[in-house]
Amino acid sequence: MAESTAGRRAAFLRMLPASATLLALAVALGVAANLVRPAATRLPWASDWSRHIETQAYRAGVPVLFLPGVRERAGNPDWLICDARTPEQYAAGHLPGAWNLPLEEVDARLGALAARLTLQSELLVYCGGADCTDALELALKLRQLGFERVTLYPGGYAEWVEYGGEVRTGDEP
Amino acid sequence: MSRARIILVWVARLAVAGMFIGACLAKIAAPESFALAVHRYRLLPDLLVNAVALLLPWLELLCGVAVLAGPPRWRAAGALWIALMLVVFTGAISLNILRGIEASCGCFSTRADAAASDGWNLARNATLLGLTLVILWDALRRDQSAAAGEPAP
Repeated sequence: MAESTAGRRAAFLRMLPASATLLALAVALGVAANLVRPAATRLPWASDWSRHIETQAYRAGVPVLFLPGVRERAGNPDWLICDARTPEQYAAGHLPGAWNLPLEEVDARLGALAARLTLQSELLVYCGGADCTDALELALKLRQLGFERVTLYPGGYAEWVEYGGEVRTGDEP
Repeated sequence: MSRARIILVWVARLAVAGMFIGACLAKIAAPESFALAVHRYRLLPDLLVNAVALLLPWLELLCGVAVLAGPPRWRAAGALWIALMLVVFTGAISLNILRGIEASCGCFSTRADAAASDGWNLARNATLLGLTLVILWDALRRDQSAAAGEPAP
């Protein structure tokens, strides 16, 4: 029994150089593959993720929802979707059922939605895409106004369209 | 070695290698999207997110190939890495589920419309971990026999 245990331990130790070699090969291949990639698609070895919209939302305590979750909620009467883009962008195309709520006009437009809203309503906000901050700013503004359940869709309109989501045009949801 | 055990080890090797080789392809093709999936776990410092996204898929590929086609010692090495990865992945997915984050695990797809992680991911990983331990155990036994100059068990 002791011999068998020692044998197994020896087999385990013999395996360790092979494990280290696999890791070294993975590093070499990863470096080489990133080097031969076209410059436009090459990923830097370190990025400033602190400026990413999802990180900002996380730090501000605003929950985020990704595309499959947004698809589930779109059309759900318990959720009110808010488009933070300009009225012109909204009219050119928006998520089905989304209300236009540009940052500069929040107070005025919320008045028109008063009948549909309570401070406990589930609100989902989006803007143009992962590069815009309007939706996060809208989420923070809505929270300041007392709305407790505000969720950000960071992928925004660009991602919705890219993945074949239905789009409505005009001034109405 | 019984016929049933041989079949079990081969099924384990095919399943685990297939999963890991299949899983790495989308990540190698779209490292930026995979980096975002890694970032969404919020477990790594910013400095490590891209490096992990660039290197991890290659480790998955090499370990998959080692488990499928390597001699016992390399098979064991690949299985050891895969077991470690599965433990880390399962812990990370569990944490996301507990935190209520409806994010895709980034396991097989880096697309934005990939389904969010759920209990199915955990069950799949637990099964894979069990199969990986079978591979590791078998490969270590074979390597031990080879080192002792004995016929394969």
